[in-house]
Amino acid sequence: MTSSRAPDAIPLTGADCFLRAFDAEGRRYNGSSHLAQLVLRLGPGLDPETLGARIVEAAAANPVLSSPIGRRFGVGAPEYRTRQAPRCAPPRLQVHRADAPAWVAPGAAPVPPVFFERLNDRFDPRRGDLLRLDLVVYPDAAADLAFTWLHMLFDGSGSERFVAWLDAYHRGEAGADAPSASDAEIRAKQPPIPLGSRDRGQQAMRWQGFVRGMAQHPPRSLAGGRRRVPQDLRYRVVTLDPARTRVVTERASALAGFLTPMLFYLAASIRAHAAVFQARNQQPGSYVVPLPVNLRAKGGVGATFRTHVSLVWFQVVPEQVGDLEELIEELKSQRRRVIKEGLIEAGTAAMDFARYAPSRVYAAMARRTLRGELCSFFFAYTDQFLPGLDHFFGAEIRGGFPAPSVPASPGSGAIVCLRGDRLNFTHVYQRSALHDDELDCFRDRFIGDLLGSS
Amino acid sequence: MTSETAGWTRTALVERVFSILRDDLLDVGVDFTPQSNLVEAGLDSLAVTQLMLAIEESAGVWVDESLLTPENLESAESLAACVYDQLASA
Repeated sequence: MTSSRAPDAIPLTGADCFLRAFDAEGRRYNGSSHLAQLVLRLGPGLDPETLGARIVEAAAANPVLSSPIGRRFGVGAPEYRTRQAPRCAPPRLQVHRADAPAWVAPGAAPVPPVFFERLNDRFDPRRGDLLRLDLVVYPDAAADLAFTWLHMLFDGSGSERFVAWLDAYHRGEAGADAPSASDAEIRAKQPPIPLGSRDRGQQAMRWQGFVRGMAQHPPRSLAGGRRRVPQDLRYRVVTLDPARTRVVTERASALAGFLTPMLFYLAASIRAHAAVFQARNQQPGSYVVPLPVNLRAKGGVGATFRTHVSLVWFQVVPEQVGDLEELIEELKSQRRRVIKEGLIEAGTAAMDFARYAPSRVYAAMARRTLRGELCSFFFAYTDQFLPGLDHFFGAEIRGGFPAPSVPASPGSGAIVCLRGDRLNFTHVYQRSALHDDELDCFRDRFIGDLLGSS
Repeated sequence: MTSETAGWTRTALVERVFSILRDDLLDVGVDFTPQSNLVEAGLDSLAVTQLMLAIEESAGVWVDESLLTPENLESAESLAACVYDQLASA
């Protein structure tokens, strides 16, 4: 069933390699991989054996799913060695039977502990170990399903496309090799401009200068600087009911814009971090936050595999976080400037250099540039989660959310998405970075700002 | 008679907005028209700011993101009308 159109090797993008540098850091200092997770909370109806069989078929048709990642002859840019994929095990589906009560209401059911364990796992990309699935089945046949993958295999939108495609393939409405054969994917396979390109180098240097400028007010995270202890990642998910979600999304549109609500959520996240710092009686030099932006073709067919994002970097000093609306205006202004000055493209050029630099060197450079801490926290807004997909393998999708891992520093991250008429907020953190009362403080300020009640 | 604001007519603005979207920002086919829905055509957060910057460069007016309601983003025509109103009030 292997696709005849699959090339022998697929180069990693610059963004993939940028994330790979985090993966190397995670492995080196925390003993785990830099993973991301997508969780589906399902009603009854999913047959684990069928899902397992479809995953095996998907891996056969899309070798990238279980391809070893390596550099040709040990040098050059890393690539997926798709020709070696048949010798690797396909993504593993583990089925867990749970005695605990099943899903109660959106946001009310606890996340199965095995999902946290998986997010703290160590994957082996040199053996094509890139994706694992965990299915927790409850006595009433409802289930929780987690896709956990090495960060560079998909970006956020790619992972959702994969889930949607897998369901369509299961229903016989999509071909087996559809995701990797799309025009957009083929376009994305074009190699980046060679390293020696003068323009590319100048762009990367400009971005480096921009980031160096941030070091005048060094950021600080709640986890503090690099800590050489095994990470123990957890996340909390808060789901707002439809009425409160409507209040929040209307405020986001009014204050930040209908298509740019992420600045509203980002501002609330910054202020939530500031509240915890305040409670600790600490004041950071600044808050530095990268915001992923999707570089996929607008309106065309999106690619499924690999990362096609760049980052917009924001920096605000503590004096700028006191008022939510003023903070949003400041973020708007910074975002406009970054786009206008071509700093997104410059950042992409800088990430392309990560294709050639050893991961450890690249990560060390980034850390040195900002004097120790990479940023204050990670943030992402992914808009509607799996829009248009109501069922997965015959089971009703009752809820769902994405959850990325976070290395130290910064040790925490916030991700916001909508699932239908409910807003999900996932707060990912290293357990030793925040106490329980600090987690509550963070949540209360964040939700208070969203609702306009703080 | 066609009214003009800051050197722009509504028709010229529609043409400018449409050409930026079609030629520079969106990956669209021949079925994309000035009446096509922009969000459905793929306009996203990055593209909308790039669009506003291009309009600022052309028309000299900045339209804040908070003014870009679903109604204004219904089509190139409705967006151009919003920009025109901004020009008129500038």
